[in-house]
Amino acid sequence: MRHWYRTLLGLMLALALVMGLGAGAAEVVQLPREETLYFGGQQWGTVATWNPVGTNQNNAMATTSNGWGARTVMFETLYMYNFLDGAMLPLLADGDPVVSEDLITTTVKIKPVAKWSDDTQVTAHDFEATWNIGIEINNGTATNYGGYIDKVVAEDDLTVVITAKVDADGQPVNPLKVKDYLIGAFVAQKAWLETLKERNNNDATAILNDAAEDVPFTGPYGKFFSDDQKVLFVRNDNYWGQDESMWGKLPVPKYIGHNIFADNSAMEVAFKAGEIDVNQQFLPNIQKLWEDEGLPISTYMQDAPYGICLTMPTAWYNMNNPLLKEHTALRKAIAMAVDYDAIIENAMTNQSPSFKDVPRSLMNPTVGEQAMYDKDAVKDLQWAGVDYDGANKLLDEAGIVDSDGDGWRDIDGVKLSFNAVCPNGWTDWMAAMEMVAAAGEKIKIEITTLFPEWSTYQTIFTNPNQKDYDIFMWSPESAAPSMPWGRVRQYLGADLVGAENNWTGNWGQYLNEEADAIIKQIPMTTDEAKLKEMYTELVRIYLTEVPSFALMYRPATFHAVNESVWTNFPEDGDGLNIPPAVCTDGYGIAALYNLKLVGE
Amino acid sequence: MKHKIRKIFRSPLFLVGFGIFMLMLLMVLIYPLINPGNPLQSIGLGNFARPGTYVSLYDSVGSQRSVLRLPEADSKRVASLLGQEDRVKMAYWLDVTGKDIEGLNINDTEALLSAWKTHYDGKERPAGMTKADRNFYERLNKRLVAASNAPALSLSETDPASGETVEKGSIGKDDYVNISAVANVKTLPLGTDNFGRDVLKELVSAAGTSLVIGLIAGTVATLIGLWLGLLAGYLGGWVDDVIMFFTNIFTVIPGFVLLILISYSIGQDQRGATTVAVVIGLTSWVWTARSVRSQVISLRNRDHVNLSKLSGHSVLRIIWRDILPYILSYVIMAFILQVSSGILAEAQLSLLGLGPKTTEVPTLGLMMNWAMLYSAHLNGSWWAYFPVIMVIALISFSLNLMNTGLDQVFNPQLRS
Repeated sequence: MRHWYRTLLGLMLALALVMGLGAGAAEVVQLPREETLYFGGQQWGTVATWNPVGTNQNNAMATTSNGWGARTVMFETLYMYNFLDGAMLPLLADGDPVVSEDLITTTVKIKPVAKWSDDTQVTAHDFEATWNIGIEINNGTATNYGGYIDKVVAEDDLTVVITAKVDADGQPVNPLKVKDYLIGAFVAQKAWLETLKERNNNDATAILNDAAEDVPFTGPYGKFFSDDQKVLFVRNDNYWGQDESMWGKLPVPKYIGHNIFADNSAMEVAFKAGEIDVNQQFLPNIQKLWEDEGLPISTYMQDAPYGICLTMPTAWYNMNNPLLKEHTALRKAIAMAVDYDAIIENAMTNQSPSFKDVPRSLMNPTVGEQAMYDKDAVKDLQWAGVDYDGANKLLDEAGIVDSDGDGWRDIDGVKLSFNAVCPNGWTDWMAAMEMVAAAGEKIKIEITTLFPEWSTYQTIFTNPNQKDYDIFMWSPESAAPSMPWGRVRQYLGADLVGAENNWTGNWGQYLNEEADAIIKQIPMTTDEAKLKEMYTELVRIYLTEVPSFALMYRPATFHAVNESVWTNFPEDGDGLNIPPAVCTDGYGIAALYNLKLVGE
Repeated sequence: MKHKIRKIFRSPLFLVGFGIFMLMLLMVLIYPLINPGNPLQSIGLGNFARPGTYVSLYDSVGSQRSVLRLPEADSKRVASLLGQEDRVKMAYWLDVTGKDIEGLNINDTEALLSAWKTHYDGKERPAGMTKADRNFYERLNKRLVAASNAPALSLSETDPASGETVEKGSIGKDDYVNISAVANVKTLPLGTDNFGRDVLKELVSAAGTSLVIGLIAGTVATLIGLWLGLLAGYLGGWVDDVIMFFTNIFTVIPGFVLLILISYSIGQDQRGATTVAVVIGLTSWVWTARSVRSQVISLRNRDHVNLSKLSGHSVLRIIWRDILPYILSYVIMAFILQVSSGILAEAQLSLLGLGPKTTEVPTLGLMMNWAMLYSAHLNGSWWAYFPVIMVIALISFSLNLMNTGLDQVFNPQLRS
């Protein structure tokens, strides 16, 4: 009797469990595949907030703003940047910006058709209010542009005037940064911002962290669903951009979504299975996916480097280490000995042009930037790597020799021993650091690799006084209207030395007055020939002094597509001039308007 | 003692395990003599070169040639260039772009190729064809263009002084070289890994390191466990209570979690192979201590132990002479298992990126870690991880077999 009772109880429990699972499964939102475009490599972890003026939103698809273009899926900017040709195309703005003669004020007209998702008109007052609240609560926009922009004012309903900050001489601090603002800052609605302030009692921290579920937006997509498994957006069919003066139509996919994956491998499997359409993920040996496995996967370019490289992950020498600071020959020798071809082939699996094709300078490998310095003038300074003889000779001549016969060179009796550091799990960087260490062995300098966790790494390399990392990796900025000036400053800018919690640049704390004087002049110079001369001089200083050295070129975003469901993604040579910016960033969003279903 | 050893070596389980283990050990000792050099040296550019024999193209051009007239040579050449599927796809392209291919036989290689060469245009975008499809045709076309049908290829060299190209000779379709005549031929039985290193050489060296790690970890764990177990079991009372208190705490905290935390806090620059081995040993002594203690408790009231006590022998002497010999076989078996689990623990730690630092010595776990980071398991490069798994499996399999064999000899309940 008791036995029977127990069996029944067990069965009932099992049934309840199965039913519970079933009920859980039924809640999962299933969207029609042929109306949904899935992204990969953007969203990690659950979305925190939908707040365009907040912080730590962890909402990659809605609130990401990069130098190469803000992600305008949900919130929009005045202009869209196209990193292929450096053009700024009007989005909410109507026509080109008008910059005053003295470069202090920039006037932008707003498109009269631009509407919020609640059907009210986008006005200049929205821009003013968004700027003002940013300054009040000190959000990302304020930290990025607060040093360069004095105020943003609505002159009338449809005219925004941006006034640059001026220095003691009455010159604008940096007019280039104002351009960055035009493509990088999202706008929020004035009326909503007032509600936001009210419900948080004007408390800055509360406003920054407000979940903003009710936020109105101007972009073509709004929130549809979000949990710890996925985030989904649905198209706003009343989107103002379908007006003839903008796109003339709606973007093709009705939904866009991003599943949240546990790790890179899980995402790679999903991408190969066609569950992700557009993937922003570094996939080693990506060509194997189509050459060996015959999958319908492609990249912007069919052959290496497969994408547009916009930045160069760099090894920085820490000038807080006196040995590295005082011995230019040492810095140059290590850089000369590194096998860059091996890094590019083995670590980047060829997804970068080589330093033979694009000799090192301060410029990224795009045609536009490469034209900004005189290649012949610095030809003798550009090294391509694996030059052990040259490096050894340089060290011997500088008197840096192995004087105690232990097999390692030393300076004043101190054995040369450095560490080469990058965050753990950043595969291609880790492999690159291994190869820097291997180069050290060839020229009798001991270099050991160190891969701390990201949480540790980020607190140390941004600390201006750190002495823990000797050679460490970080990337300068990729593309933006203010480039290459911004990147040059990141490499050589003296104003960044000693900055606390430094995410801006010059992480090696390198100081050079001569270079800094030129960097200060560039933003105010408009004469092309003069600019080229200045940039060439900076490249000369950089390659002579070697305060850091680039290890490879790298795309700002990886952009690989699986054409199982959608096709007609941007491709090299299709004449449309849409950048491979994962169909969302800057002018890259134009790709969404051209998509087609496979077989259609 | 001799009798025991003879008995052990009569156990088939033990013999098989011992054989595998010795084979691995010999391999670790002998292979570096045959193939010397630094196992961490990168020899290949690019990731994951396939296993096989690589012949220097450069050297083979200059080697002594022989002429072989092989009847299937031509058809093999064509087959490697153009599979059946490619032919169908080529015809599909010609058809879908509206080219006139009336009467084209796709098995007629010459006709197909000539139709392809006249009509194919990479710039054309046939309706309904994805970029991936178009890319396929472009690659195919590139291959077809690169392949030559000429009776001979000419060899030329650029004179560095004048910059002129001088013809140096030609290579015909029937020219062969004997592989032994080529100066540079490299066999990579297990290909290369993501750094372009010889996987077999690295694997052998890694197996050695892992065995050392296992031995150190096993020794540390067994020594700690044994002494704590002996003391707790023999002395009893408050000593037992204190020791068991700590042992129980360690039992409750999962050993692996503890291992991760300790490895993490040591920091990578301090983590050499030996440090990792010691840390593994320090976290895995618990069950040895517990079982030794229970064995000792059953021994401590035996007559010979009591006699020893009455004779006034010291505690250490009693433990050493009257207790340890009785549990020695058990301890050895425990030690073997500890070695095996030490090797596994290193592999697990390294797989999580918490293993020894990477530049100095290869270990099995590190090899798997890098193979995983470079998606070897997803892009079909089995040689970068599967042999490693096999070696780990074989080492722990052989150790476990040896353990089971010993168990059959020593365990009275299993003795036949």
